[in-house]
Amino acid sequence: MNLFKVLDISGSALLAERQRAEVVASNMANAESTHTAEGGPYKRMHVVFGAHPMQKSGFAMTLASFNDMNAEGVRVERVVQDGAPPVRRFEPGHPDADADGYVAYPAINPVEEMVNLMGSARAYQLNASAVQSTKNMIQASIDIIKS
Amino acid sequence: MSLFNSSQMELLTRYLDLTATRQSLVTGNIANVDTPGYRTRDIDFHGELQRALQGDGSETTEPVAREVQGLIARPDGNNVSIDRESMLLSEVQLEFSSAELLLKSEFKTLNLAINEGNGAI
Repeated sequence: MNLFKVLDISGSALLAERQRAEVVASNMANAESTHTAEGGPYKRMHVVFGAHPMQKSGFAMTLASFNDMNAEGVRVERVVQDGAPPVRRFEPGHPDADADGYVAYPAINPVEEMVNLMGSARAYQLNASAVQSTKNMIQASIDIIKS
Repeated sequence: MSLFNSSQMELLTRYLDLTATRQSLVTGNIANVDTPGYRTRDIDFHGELQRALQGDGSETTEPVAREVQGLIARPDGNNVSIDRESMLLSEVQLEFSSAELLLKSEFKTLNLAINEGNGAI
C-alpha cells in the first residue's frame, strides 16, 4: 500500500471542497445581480461531486508493488445552474425592469448559501486532518530507516 | 526462521500494510463525505490479518474492500458517518505507530546483537 497515494485522495477532496466554496461565494456575491453576460438575472450554481478512482501519479507508477485497489478520491463532476425561477420585485425605476415594472432577481437564499459554506469548510478541515494523520504515518515509516 | 526475517517482523510488516490500506479507505470515505450516492467502504481488518497470517507468505493476499453495512444513509444516498471516520482515522494512526515502534525495536535488537559482538574476540 502506498501512503503517498493516500495524500492524493485527501488532496482531491481539498480541491473539490475549495471549488464548492468558490461557487457558494460567487452565489452570495451575485445575490442581487440582475443582469449577466448571457442576459437575465444571475442563476444560482451548484457543484456536483462524484467519486472517482485516483489516477496513478508518476511517483506511484514507478513503484512496482503499487496496489491500485479500492479507495476513491472525489472531484467536481460539473457545475449546474439551479432551475428555480427568478424572484420578481416591483421596482419600476430600475433599468432592468420589464414592461410591468418588475425586476427579476436571482432566487438566492443567503442562509442556504451560508449553510453550504459551513459544510464545505468543515469538510475541508476534516480532510486537512486526514492529511496530517497520513503525514504522521509516512514520517513514522521514515523513522524506521533512521533508527 | 532467519535472523533478519523473523516471524515477528513478518507479522508487523503485514500489520503495517493492512493499516496503510485501511488509512487509504478511511481517507477515501472522508474525501467523499459530500458525494451523493457514495457508500462507506472498509476492510474486515481482523479477518484480513488472520488471512495474511495463515498464508505462507509466498503470495500476497490482496485485501478486499467491502461496503460497510448498518450505517444510516442520508436522503442523497450517501452513508458516510463523520464520527466513525474521524474515530477510525485516529485509531489507524495509533495502530500504525505502535506497530512501527515494535518494528523499530526489532531492528534495535538486531543492531544490538551485531554491535555487542564487536569486542568479543
